Amino acid sequence: MSSEAGEIEQKYHIPVVAAAGSNVVSFGIGANFKYNTGMPIRYVGVPFPFSGQPRSVLKGYVEGKDTVSGKPLMQAIVDGLTKPLTDEEKMSGIPPESIPEPRLLAPATEDDLQALFKERCWTDFNPVIIPTEERVAAMLKGTSHKPDEIVKSAAGTFGTKRPFTVEKVAIVAVMAGAKPEYLPLILALSSMVPYQDSTTSIAQMLVVNGPIRKKIDMNSGLGALGPNCDANSVIGRSKTLIHKIIQGYDEGVTGFASLSNPLRYDNLCLAENEEELPATWDPLHVQLGHKASDSVITMFTGWNFINSTGWVETHYAPQNLMRDYMSSLSGMSATLLMDPSVAELLNNVQGFTTKAALAEWLSQNVEKTAESYWGNSIVSSMLGPLGEQGLEPYAGWRKLPGDSRIKPFNNARNIRSVVVGGKTASVWFATDFMPEKSVSIDAWA
Amino acid sequence: MDRRKVLALLGASPVLAAGTPAFARTAPKAASKHAPAMSSGLVNSLNPAVTPQLPRRIPLAPRLDTLNGKTIYLVDTDWGGMGQNSVIQEEMQKWFAANMPGVKTIIKVKKGNFVTDDPALWKEIADKEGDGVVLGVAG
Repeated sequence: MSSEAGEIEQKYHIPVVAAAGSNVVSFGIGANFKYNTGMPIRYVGVPFPFSGQPRSVLKGYVEGKDTVSGKPLMQAIVDGLTKPLTDEEKMSGIPPESIPEPRLLAPATEDDLQALFKERCWTDFNPVIIPTEERVAAMLKGTSHKPDEIVKSAAGTFGTKRPFTVEKVAIVAVMAGAKPEYLPLILALSSMVPYQDSTTSIAQMLVVNGPIRKKIDMNSGLGALGPNCDANSVIGRSKTLIHKIIQGYDEGVTGFASLSNPLRYDNLCLAENEEELPATWDPLHVQLGHKASDSVITMFTGWNFINSTGWVETHYAPQNLMRDYMSSLSGMSATLLMDPSVAELLNNVQGFTTKAALAEWLSQNVEKTAESYWGNSIVSSMLGPLGEQGLEPYAGWRKLPGDSRIKPFNNARNIRSVVVGGKTASVWFATDFMPEKSVSIDAWA
Repeated sequence: MDRRKVLALLGASPVLAAGTPAFARTAPKAASKHAPAMSSGLVNSLNPAVTPQLPRRIPLAPRLDTLNGKTIYLVDTDWGGMGQNSVIQEEMQKWFAANMPGVKTIIKVKKGNFVTDDPALWKEIADKEGDGVVLGVAG
């Protein structure tokens, strides 16, 4: 909202007061102004939550106090539109430089460095490997890229400028416990910042395809989603550290995830079990347009992760239970993570000879009520306005009685399948994760 | 961890522990690449931190000398979707009518969703000589 307020102020010279919930208003006044917009937009705050409240409560908010200034809210708005600008608000041009971070920290004991790293929000609050020059130099042998090469500039939340180098990524890789041969993958991962954040419990999933899986001994088989493999665990952890250190995610300063998500510890880092795919099923990266011989990492974003609990039974086809579980998802996207044995049953017994065929069937068979569909705030906030503007099918769905049944996964391309696991149980997960970015790892070798 | 100790480890002045304006920090001293450890048991660590670049500062638009006789747009950014929050704009409109009747207020709902821009609306407000905007509510 700061950028829109800024656009009105800058382009049309019309004064604006922006109103935000008390949950996020400090971001608009603080980090977003300082590192992103450069405009000290005048904000007022209303108590949170406001969405879902009855009119009587919202009326009370309007007649109550501004959570920023403590003044009556409406008086704060009037003041925001009329009080003369301060020198700070009149400031133009480049502010004094931010202080460059030194390349080396002051020498300290291991314990003090561990404490410092936690203090600076550089860890997941598990111990890290201290990135000494020697360790980082060894890590850098994992790539042909020069240490001072800029990987990306717009790395911060909302694309704020946080230019970072190959050496910074190598430092993070050391901290996470990586081996040098993981570095190209971690560099590819770092090139995908900024990662999506939200006040909701958004999370990411990392899926690796291609020859790199075998080269660095990623686990795509038995226990692949558990804490059973160095590469899966460490690469997943690297993403968390990149998020915090390179992107600058700091809960309560640049991010405000109310519950956050335990998936953020390892980011569901997995490798597809390409060797166990049914012969006519393409691996994910091929579906996304890469060559089978390419090594690729795909980042997904989502919220939900539902397990099949038990194995596939003869009396209830696996796609039926997938359909049932997927009816609880928002409908915007889904990714199924299935054991190779499930893929085999779907292919050989149920006749789904491609991933696309399964997606098409689910698209036609998952249903939920219109009321439940629009009851999800991500759906209503992102797709509701499109319906109001006449875009189908959302416009039609908006008009339906609440108990009408709709097919929320109307676009089969938004349903993906990834095969992973060790064939000791015909189990699967239904998730709402959607592929967001897919990048070459080979480019960082 | 004590803040003075943190700053010392970062090579910064403990004076910073007293609190400083956002853009007036004292430059931390970079440790020399070849500096030996001060005594045995000390570790030389590279610094993970990335230096953010500050954006160009842009001044705000001049403020109004009074709201009397002015037109203020109350723009619903449609947080939550489906116009749920226009209730707040409606209550603001009632407040202006009761307490500052000389202010004309117009409620508008932004097109798109809460994360998309609506430049056509900003232009419409300017073309219709809107004097001020209250934009919200984000959450």
